Amino acid sequence: MNTALAPVEQLLIGDFWVLWYAKSNTYSIVNTEFKLLLDEYLVSESKTQFLNSLYFEEDKELQNKIVENLFSYLQNCNSPYSKSTTSTSTDLDKRQRYISKQYNFEHKIVQVNYCSELVLKTIHPSIAHYCNISKSKVDVLFDVYLKENHLHLFKNEELISYVPKKDYHYIQGKFIMQLLCELHNKTEKDWIGSLHGSTITDENNAILFVGKSGKGKSTLCALLANTDLKLLADDVSPLLSKDQHIYYNPSAISIKQGAFKLLEPLVNNFNKLPIVDFNKTKGNLKYLPCTKPKQNHYPCRAIILVNYKPESKTLLEPISIKTILETIIEDSWLSPKPKHAEQFLSWLKNMKLYQLTYSDTTCVTKEVSNLFKEL
Amino acid sequence: MKKENNTDKITRKEAISKMGKYAALTAVGTFVILNPLKAQTSSAPNPGGDPFS
Repeated sequence: MNTALAPVEQLLIGDFWVLWYAKSNTYSIVNTEFKLLLDEYLVSESKTQFLNSLYFEEDKELQNKIVENLFSYLQNCNSPYSKSTTSTSTDLDKRQRYISKQYNFEHKIVQVNYCSELVLKTIHPSIAHYCNISKSKVDVLFDVYLKENHLHLFKNEELISYVPKKDYHYIQGKFIMQLLCELHNKTEKDWIGSLHGSTITDENNAILFVGKSGKGKSTLCALLANTDLKLLADDVSPLLSKDQHIYYNPSAISIKQGAFKLLEPLVNNFNKLPIVDFNKTKGNLKYLPCTKPKQNHYPCRAIILVNYKPESKTLLEPISIKTILETIIEDSWLSPKPKHAEQFLSWLKNMKLYQLTYSDTTCVTKEVSNLFKEL
Repeated sequence: MKKENNTDKITRKEAISKMGKYAALTAVGTFVILNPLKAQTSSAPNPGGDPFS
């Protein structure tokens, strides 16, 4: 019955089944009881056959409710995936090249042309620490400009994306993805996804730190990057299909004003970093550049949900896959390809999952260092 | 749909038979559906801001 609606991938991770539906690129997390009923529903040849397996034939109303719930669940999980499309008809407007910056990423020189100081602030501050050259031979050329209330992004004079200006974070995300492809010699199709979280490495293994905005994720990573550990990626952690490693993202850590006071005495020269006041509703930001790790990629062994809580003790405790996925999936880009979904689920199953509650900066860095030793 | 062997089938049928009717109803109401972003982004901005004006 309705086998066309069945999940294409499924894996038991801890106490929960994680199911993936290809049609919609939807991830669903269910408990074992739900999974039993769903499997029975899907293998039953008719509604009657399914109802006969429920062993409480006397209650028709309740039986029907169960069938209705399962059917509507499957409908929800199979609503077609429509990818946002970018028109390719827009031509590059070279008159918009008012500001040019060149960035030196070891073996690659990247030039970005911006139409104004305000547009420059969408991209430049997070990679400003690589902007130390000029007039070199350029390997990759980007153009970012605002025209007719839309932000445009071109790479080597080809349109990559354009979005209404209020959605500028899509241009930031697209730019980072294109930059990652260039720096690591990949194409977009090579990535399983870009996970919303920051990754720290001890140069053997890596840990992905996730958490909703304001939970102390970036602050913690700034603290950790100030120890023997290194920042591999801030905010956007790219996961490659080939080796399932997380790759280096050159962006600096974006720190919100609320954390300035805490970090000033702990991070060298923090007070000398310029303040960026790009988005008034988001408040002032500082971008903290970090030392690059030796390698470009490391295997991730654990995911930590960061939970800053004033006055709390440092507490590292196991957490369910359900809580982790509820935190990251909807803020991450994940490839809709079945191969990538299968790899993502297997990758998740190998992760150790924790919640880290903290307030004391010394204790929390010690706790994370100890965890690295156990990986 | 995946092929299942008889052991799977019997185990599942047994497990369902042990499930009370309210447990079954509760079970089908407890699930999470999550959709990833369709395009890459950086952290979403707070709503209401227009940084370009």
